[in-house]
Amino acid sequence: MSTPLLQIDDLYVKYGNIEALHGISFTVNQGEIVTLIGANGAGKSTTLMSIAQLPPPEAPRITKGDIKFKGESILGMGPDKIVSDLHMALVPEGRHIFGNLTVEENLKLATYSRKGGQAEIDRDYQRVYKLFPRLDERKKQRSESLSGGEQQMLAVGRALMSGCKVIMLDEPSMGLAPLLMYDMFRTLKELNEEGMTILLIEQNANLALKFAHRGYVIDTGEIVAQGPSDQLMEDPEVKKAYLGG
Amino acid sequence: MDFIIQNILNALQWGSFYALIALGYTLVYGVLRLINFAHGDVFMVGAYIAFFVSGFMLGDTLGLSPTVTFLCALPVTMILTSLVGVTLERIAYRPLRRKGAHRLYVVITALMCGLILEYSNLAVLGASRLKFPELIHKTVWNIGGVTVTNLKVIVIVTAVLVFLFLNFIVTRTKIGMAMRGISYDKFAIPLMGIPIDNIIVFTFILGSGFAGLAGLLFAMSYPILEPFMGMLIGWKAFIAAVVGGIGDIKGAFVGGFLLGFIEVGVVALPFLESTYRDLFAFTILLIILWIKPTGLFGMPQSTKI
Repeated sequence: MSTPLLQIDDLYVKYGNIEALHGISFTVNQGEIVTLIGANGAGKSTTLMSIAQLPPPEAPRITKGDIKFKGESILGMGPDKIVSDLHMALVPEGRHIFGNLTVEENLKLATYSRKGGQAEIDRDYQRVYKLFPRLDERKKQRSESLSGGEQQMLAVGRALMSGCKVIMLDEPSMGLAPLLMYDMFRTLKELNEEGMTILLIEQNANLALKFAHRGYVIDTGEIVAQGPSDQLMEDPEVKKAYLGG
Repeated sequence: MDFIIQNILNALQWGSFYALIALGYTLVYGVLRLINFAHGDVFMVGAYIAFFVSGFMLGDTLGLSPTVTFLCALPVTMILTSLVGVTLERIAYRPLRRKGAHRLYVVITALMCGLILEYSNLAVLGASRLKFPELIHKTVWNIGGVTVTNLKVIVIVTAVLVFLFLNFIVTRTKIGMAMRGISYDKFAIPLMGIPIDNIIVFTFILGSGFAGLAGLLFAMSYPILEPFMGMLIGWKAFIAAVVGGIGDIKGAFVGGFLLGFIEVGVVALPFLESTYRDLFAFTILLIILWIKPTGLFGMPQSTKI
């Protein structure tokens, strides 16, 4: 079997003195959509924050285990390098857009460390505006004036502008009306078909499993079930606990 | 009439000094939410750096003319002073930030750093005052009863140019966007692939570089240097930045010039003794803050994170 793109290996993570992850392991292969599902507080966001290597105080501390990208450990790499060198972008929970900047400036800021030429960057602007025409219409607006759905589009658009090949999404459906939510997932599917690897966290397990190729179920800091999405959806335990019967 | 124009010019000159120092407070606050209380002393160090750099250039080894010395001392002073600012950030503020220390401790550290700069100066150079050499031959123009010195014009024009330059940096460049971005949401900056420390260092370079510029121009205008010269002017510039709306560059300049005008205005009033100057100036600023606590250009602090 070939080396997975991203491999989380027996990861233990602490917030202060409280252990949040107790040795979780999973893999993401190139071109896959993988989802982590689980209840609120199970450790899903913690996992993504650990991969993104955000500095304290926001982020957790890794006490044991490893995170490997193409077989090599990326621990201690620094959050900006994860984006600029490994091309993995995190769309955080709550979006964290720069509300005091315009839509256009938000997108431009994401190109800060890109090494490619301007032509490539311009192509990505076109792509983002094509995927999210609303952003094109609102280019010059301060982004805090956008609706929740538009802000989510901007957060994803920003990740794309960073030139990412892997996108990690933390609850992208949160606060979105159902119609917008399906739109968002359709767009993500499109991106995946173009070659984007996706690691998705969702509380809406139904939606996530329909969308993803494979899934892992996290419960209080441990992986309790895993497998292809259609299998997980049929698993009686998973059905009972996460899919509402 | 002459009297009024004369006072306006004086107000603009003092306002320029306050503005040039205030912008350092405001830039660092905008990016780190840190009130860098050492900044007034960085200005003082800038004046001393200007003194030694000019002395060396005028001296026997190089023997440059005063005008050439001024033109060379300007960039050299700015670069060396910005190194002082960057060093403070590196050895004092960054380690605390890494440990996730509460802002209060960083502010106390900044106060300490200011005192250390003052007293190390006192320890090394002693209490005697230094006399700054004359770099620009003072030309006095008399325009319809108003006397204008070339130095005054240089100071005011410099402040305006610095404002235009900073405004360009902050609104038009990517690094400026990153500075504005940090002030809104520090968490998301590294997620954009931006090394946050580089932005912080750049901010300190700008702030302390211009404090060095202010130090040079101030020493040329009021050529007596002493270790505590940065204290009061630093406090005043800080207050000017707060009144303008700390975190906002426009605010720093407007606040600086406002303070200049109030101070000169109070002294110019015929029925007031000049000793009332600071009392009245600060009272007026207090009233402004009382009416608008976020400062003239300040936005209420966003509640995110």
